[in-house]
Amino acid sequence: MANAFVAAFEILSFGAIIVLIVLGLGIIASMMGIFNFAQGEFVLLGAYITYLAYAKGLPIWTGMVAAPFVVGALGFVLEALIIRRFYAAPIVAMLGTYALGLIIRESVRGLIGGFYLTVPEPIGGSIDIGAMHISAWRFTIIVITLLVMAGCYLLLSRTSFGLRVRATLENPALARASGISTPLIYGATFAFGAALAGLAGALIVPVFSLFADLGLRFLIQGFVAVMVGGVGSFIGPVAGAGVIGTLSAALPWVIAPVVADVLVFVLAIVFIKFRPQGLIAGKGV
Amino acid sequence: MPKSMSVVREAIAADVGDEPVDAMAEGAAAGQDRAGRKILPIVEGVVLVAALVAPLLLQDYLTVFATRVIILALFALSFDLVWGYAGIMSFGQALFFGSAGYGVALLARDLDITNIFLVLPAGTMIGLAFALLLGGFLLLGRHPSSVIFVSLGTLTGSYAADRLARGWYYLGGQNGIPSIAPMTVGSYEFSEGPAFYYLVLGILVVVYLLCRYLVRSQFGLALAGLRENEQRIAFFGYKAQHLKAIIFAIGGAVAGLAGSLYAFHEGFVWPNMVGVVVSTQVVLYVLFGGSGTLIGAVIGAVIVEGVSFWLSDNYREIWPIILGVLLLLVILFRPLGLISFVLGERERVGSFGGTPKESKKEKRNAAP
Repeated sequence: MANAFVAAFEILSFGAIIVLIVLGLGIIASMMGIFNFAQGEFVLLGAYITYLAYAKGLPIWTGMVAAPFVVGALGFVLEALIIRRFYAAPIVAMLGTYALGLIIRESVRGLIGGFYLTVPEPIGGSIDIGAMHISAWRFTIIVITLLVMAGCYLLLSRTSFGLRVRATLENPALARASGISTPLIYGATFAFGAALAGLAGALIVPVFSLFADLGLRFLIQGFVAVMVGGVGSFIGPVAGAGVIGTLSAALPWVIAPVVADVLVFVLAIVFIKFRPQGLIAGKGV
Repeated sequence: MPKSMSVVREAIAADVGDEPVDAMAEGAAAGQDRAGRKILPIVEGVVLVAALVAPLLLQDYLTVFATRVIILALFALSFDLVWGYAGIMSFGQALFFGSAGYGVALLARDLDITNIFLVLPAGTMIGLAFALLLGGFLLLGRHPSSVIFVSLGTLTGSYAADRLARGWYYLGGQNGIPSIAPMTVGSYEFSEGPAFYYLVLGILVVVYLLCRYLVRSQFGLALAGLRENEQRIAFFGYKAQHLKAIIFAIGGAVAGLAGSLYAFHEGFVWPNMVGVVVSTQVVLYVLFGGSGTLIGAVIGAVIVEGVSFWLSDNYREIWPIILGVLLLLVILFRPLGLISFVLGERERVGSFGGTPKESKKEKRNAAP
């Protein structure tokens, strides 16, 4: 019983991490039609900022709070300078964001060297429930993921900003005719997606430690999750991330980890092939 | 999926819309075209002569490096066929390269087969088989697949293969398969050096000429149409998906040939060879050199590898950053690659299927 509970918690916490990382990727893919290869590097930057705060002797949480804002601002600038030119051509956008990601990743690699740098958990220790111990920080990540998910959902479905974003997604020409500044909306959406990636990086760095390929590790999983969930809505990629995260964490408990690792990807691609619209089809929230 | 369809349509519209701008940018080169001078054969000739004399001028260790570059150029050719000519973004070209490498490494290790007339065809077949499987799955089917699905599908395939190779003890895990026996003809062993170099160069020239014939044939014309506007080609009655699967398989076979040569030249294979790193590297070569021209892929591989070799002594740390910046600049300002500095748009598109008169007649027949 205790073992099953620990396993369930592990699976849940990994699922939450994947959801957190995919949120930003999904918003950018759904709302803008761009598969952002630099998203993994935004995660890496978030992690790096947290590490910097820690290395400078500041409390770790200051780094975690700063990370989304810094990465979001960077996302806004990059969108205005570079990404904006790619909207018409999705493949070129992939290559361009890949180049951006390469620049960011190698710069960070130059800064930290080839090391694995650890950052301690801001909330250490464990939560004891009877004889079972679960990591307090992983529990915090789950809670924050739920809050962020709810926040994003409310932002997109209940606020006037969300309405404008959805209007721009649905029909850019009509949105422009209605007086919505679509370039500004695209910039804000991209910055928001980048900020979410920064937050994800900041939160997961105590769990995975900081290394240059941190973002790359999650990027392909993230893409697969977005496709499985369905591009075009907010809830689709989140659902996909939940499925992929849970599967990747749960399968190694059942079959050999090597096979499980590959099986998740194979299953996902087969699923997308036969249901290209994804788990949840449709546009909007 | 209406969203992706509209994205595709926009992409095509953008492609078509871009051309006049490019053509204008190439004003000078286009002027030379009108004068009747052909640039492409000159570039090809210069590259061939340079490649022929290179081992005479280079030191031994540089010849070994040059051999590796030629093999990578062959690999780049395979990606250029798929992306530059048919517009299929294969982010997983290393899957065919690496699996053929692993295949011939296993042949040499477990069955002691190193005869060049067995291993090279075997490697080519492995690349072809994997490409047929993956390409058939991704490209064929009742509904045409979106470009995004194909590119992410190939990327995922390559990534999954990398993870499998890393975890599978039979394939050597993280370390791969070391010390592969050299290729043989009878009792002669191909070790690194000028002999291996000229062997690889000969293979590259043969494959290059075959590809050149292929992309200038009627088949190549259909592919070019596919790249520019897939829907229109489909309306003409071509089976667009089949054409794509065929060229994808041919690309896989060439990548397999390159992969088996690479395995024997380096003497070992390791998981990166099937993975995302090598997959994206070949994309870099072709984008730099110029996609849609075969020689562009070769030049791209030579330049990227050459500069990286040259800089790796002093600037190893910042070279990938420079590479990223250059790639971004090329994508933004020179979407047709470095070759577009000397090559006009008209010559890049080229003519198809023999003499113009003949081809016009065939075109009319092919498009009822």
